Amino acid sequence: MTIKRVTFLQELLSFMGLKDRLHLSWISSAEAGKFVQVINDFTEKIRAMGPNPLKGYDLRPWLERLRPPDNIEKTDAAQVPSEEPEMLLIR
Amino acid sequence: MDRTQTVRHWLETGVVDIFFGYRLVEGHPLPHGFTRDKLSEVEEIVDSESRYPLEQLATHFSSSHPEATIGMFARDCNRRALNVLVVWNQLQSDTIKTIDINCCPSPLKKHADCSYLEPEQPGNFKLRAGIANNAETQEVEELDQQELLSRWMYEFQKCIKCYGCRNICPVCFCRECSLEHPDLVHTGRLPPEVPIFHLVRATHMAGRCVDCGLCEEACPMDIPLRLLYRKVNRIVSDVFGYDTGTSQEQPPFSVLGEKVTLTPKPLETS
Repeated sequence: MTIKRVTFLQELLSFMGLKDRLHLSWISSAEAGKFVQVINDFTEKIRAMGPNPLKGYDLRPWLERLRPPDNIEKTDAAQVPSEEPEMLLIR
Repeated sequence: MDRTQTVRHWLETGVVDIFFGYRLVEGHPLPHGFTRDKLSEVEEIVDSESRYPLEQLATHFSSSHPEATIGMFARDCNRRALNVLVVWNQLQSDTIKTIDINCCPSPLKKHADCSYLEPEQPGNFKLRAGIANNAETQEVEELDQQELLSRWMYEFQKCIKCYGCRNICPVCFCRECSLEHPDLVHTGRLPPEVPIFHLVRATHMAGRCVDCGLCEEACPMDIPLRLLYRKVNRIVSDVFGYDTGTSQEQPPFSVLGEKVTLTPKPLETS
């Protein structure tokens, strides 16, 4: 069941564009060598792929396009806060 | 017997206690519960292109009136949703009676009555930056991983967190929704935490979504939710061999492990 659930997640992540970032292995507590091997291999694989693209993913270019142009006169009701709100960056 | 007469007959003879259909209100067909006390209203019953999750009304009604028998108009999508709700013990199949109404087109019947036969044609910007609502899952899978992420992120960040997709969903019946849990989802910021907000919903739709398309129809920001849930269900079908909407068993995610095949027996003593 676990392998099916993890396969489900892997497929879903791959559909989102986050392929190969989830790994599942069965390692017994007696298999120290295999444990080291799996961890090292996965670490190397991830290092080669680079950091998670969602870390610090910048939504600003997208949100910028949704913003109305500056030359539109702003009424008091539609006052946009001048400082960049914190929500734009995913942490 | 035509439809109106059938409903009237059902109500009069007590086959059903309440019938969920549509009634014209100011020219708009709106969902309405027809009852024995107001039989005259049955004359105003209509079916049309408009769709509402009538089975959701039935679920709500059934939770407060567990003994009542319920009748309703059923399209193919309603039928699948009813099946899922029965599987999840939200409704009892013997208390539900349905009247078929015309819906999706097929080779046998060309004429279709549905408010959402085809998603809108995507505009230029959406084609360049996002994911077209009428795309096939295979087309989307062919995209490069980086582009895929960027396109999904464009779609998700439009979300205004109106919960319209969840509220309209005929198979969303949980009393507590994890998308409303303050410890899991921050309040007061837009867009919600993408993509996890949408992926949580997608995962919850696995083995539940009946592909009715109401979520996408309700979405004010035109996010291709139906495509996402269709893909999720395809994975469920490929990996678990579970067909949502037709299967009589609980979906795989509600099962904690494989079925037990060993039987307990006493230890052998030497």
